Amino acid sequence: MSTHQEPPGEATRRPRHPDDTDLSTSSREELVRLGSELDDVTITHRADPFPILGTRMEKRTERKVARWFIIAALAGLGFLAAYLFWPYQYAPPGTPGDRHSLYQLYTPIIGALLGLSLFATGGGMIAYAKHLLPHETAVQERHTTDASSELDRVTTTAILVDSGVSSGIGRRSLIKRTAGFGGAVLGAGVGVFAVGGLIRNPWKGGAHAALWVTPWAPSPGEPVFLRYDAQHLRLARPEDLNGGSIATVFPYKRSWSEQQAYDAMQASNSPVMLIRLRPEQAAQVIQRSKRQASFHYGDFYAYSKICTHLGCPASLYETQDARLLCPCHQSQFDMLEYAKPIFGPATRPLPQLPIAVNDEGYFYAKGDFIEPVGPAFWERKSGSL
Amino acid sequence: LLAVGGLYTVFAPQPQVARAQANPAQGNPTQVNPALVRQGEQLYDTACITCHGANLQGVTDRGPSLVGVGEAAVYFQVSSGRMPATRQEAQMQQKPVTFTPEQIDALGAFVQANGGGPTVPKAGSLAGGDPAWGGELFRLNCASCHNFTGRGIALSSGKYAPKIHDVNRRQIYSAMISGPESMPRFSNQQLTLQDKRDIIAYVESFMNKPNNPGGYSLGGFGPVPEGMVAWLIGMSALVAVTLWIGAKE
Repeated sequence: MSTHQEPPGEATRRPRHPDDTDLSTSSREELVRLGSELDDVTITHRADPFPILGTRMEKRTERKVARWFIIAALAGLGFLAAYLFWPYQYAPPGTPGDRHSLYQLYTPIIGALLGLSLFATGGGMIAYAKHLLPHETAVQERHTTDASSELDRVTTTAILVDSGVSSGIGRRSLIKRTAGFGGAVLGAGVGVFAVGGLIRNPWKGGAHAALWVTPWAPSPGEPVFLRYDAQHLRLARPEDLNGGSIATVFPYKRSWSEQQAYDAMQASNSPVMLIRLRPEQAAQVIQRSKRQASFHYGDFYAYSKICTHLGCPASLYETQDARLLCPCHQSQFDMLEYAKPIFGPATRPLPQLPIAVNDEGYFYAKGDFIEPVGPAFWERKSGSL
Repeated sequence: LLAVGGLYTVFAPQPQVARAQANPAQGNPTQVNPALVRQGEQLYDTACITCHGANLQGVTDRGPSLVGVGEAAVYFQVSSGRMPATRQEAQMQQKPVTFTPEQIDALGAFVQANGGGPTVPKAGSLAGGDPAWGGELFRLNCASCHNFTGRGIALSSGKYAPKIHDVNRRQIYSAMISGPESMPRFSNQQLTLQDKRDIIAYVESFMNKPNNPGGYSLGGFGPVPEGMVAWLIGMSALVAVTLWIGAKE
């Protein structure tokens, strides 16, 4: 029956199979040796570092190991104390009491203390293993890597098939189907749970989808103003900028709540650069189309700040030659020629925002951008406007 | 278009006119010292006239007109050693300063007397008390070129935004108000005097002082060198420890 040769001598080395009396009378050491021998493990060398218990040497070694754990505990306590009580708030240089240096030390201190605590815990474990555990060398025979015996394989297969047949699941197709259905739905539910949060539909809303419309879109009878920064509500006026200036502006409607205004500032497609050309530059401007020629106000031009290549904020404005550089991939746009790309990977001009000044003297957007802001996507038409 | 042009003529000259009138109003007429202007003219005639012209009108392909650039531009360019220039190139280099502070004042007075322009306030501190707000404005208006740690960046065609390093408050202020070379100008209507003082306070909080919560700036270039250092040093240390553990039998 057996297809493979027994290794020579194996039968002789195998211990006698113990009977019940052997098991009940054996000591712990004998049982350990028996278990090892049944697994073909031979302990060739075993030396207890401290054969006599309670010697002064052993106590000293124990203290050596305990020192590591005490260091770990103290460093851990120090970490907790620093984390809770160290002055972590920013203080500018020159604050009385040298609060700045204390603030600067916060991160290194909590890092060093937590690191020391982990290191000392590991050190204590290594020291225990090295100095206090018995030193032993064990050899285990390599078992043959052949398959199990024919007998084992045939009987195991029969047991598995029998359990399947006797459960009757093969004939009970109603249970088989409902269980499959339940399992499949549960699996799909888990899958939806995991993936659902990642799915967004940017086309939701059709023509008013977020891809096509920015917060600059005006609502009937209400102008969208150009505001400067987040903390103060300051609206842009023509007299704010000198020739050769640039300001980043965001949309603002008077009817907006604080949250709506905040969301509009945070929207990725809302930053706009308001640029005032120098007078001699304004005379050289080349317009893109008749429609877009009315988008500027005197020598003020407003362009989206979002690069048409991959959406970085492109705002490195070189006033002398009125060129705008994107820091990510060095695309360059010519502000004297409708922000046309003249260098780098960007292929489309920056979208221009139509602006005008109302009778109170504030800039406002005459309408939304006439093309989508930022990098390309499938449905975006390239080419003419 | 007529309305646009009309509005433009109403608004556009306003800042210049307003500033030219505002300077005497600030009490400058008493300070305009004819002797100082004359001294400035003599310095101008020896050091600047070749490129900027006999009447500050500029010389084609050499230097721009200085009419209306104001005392602030003179102070920034001359006190940082960029002017007088030694040669034409993409961007003027910082060099050891040629003139004494008195001579720089004289040159500034001369240019100011011929066309006006932005000035640097002489009285009061130029550092504000709110560096956090200054930092907000710095990141919005300045950091795209100068980096929020003030390290600067390369621009196109050999130009660059310089590292903000070893500069005084008047230089930072005069750079913002006059817009040297490729830099845009930031008028006091766009960033108020108080805003500018807060920006200066923010710049001073990182300039020439270690301001690194991690203990070392790694050049202040941001996450790329930091990640590289973490990878190279951290991984080598881990490999070394692994080898050491393996070597201990």
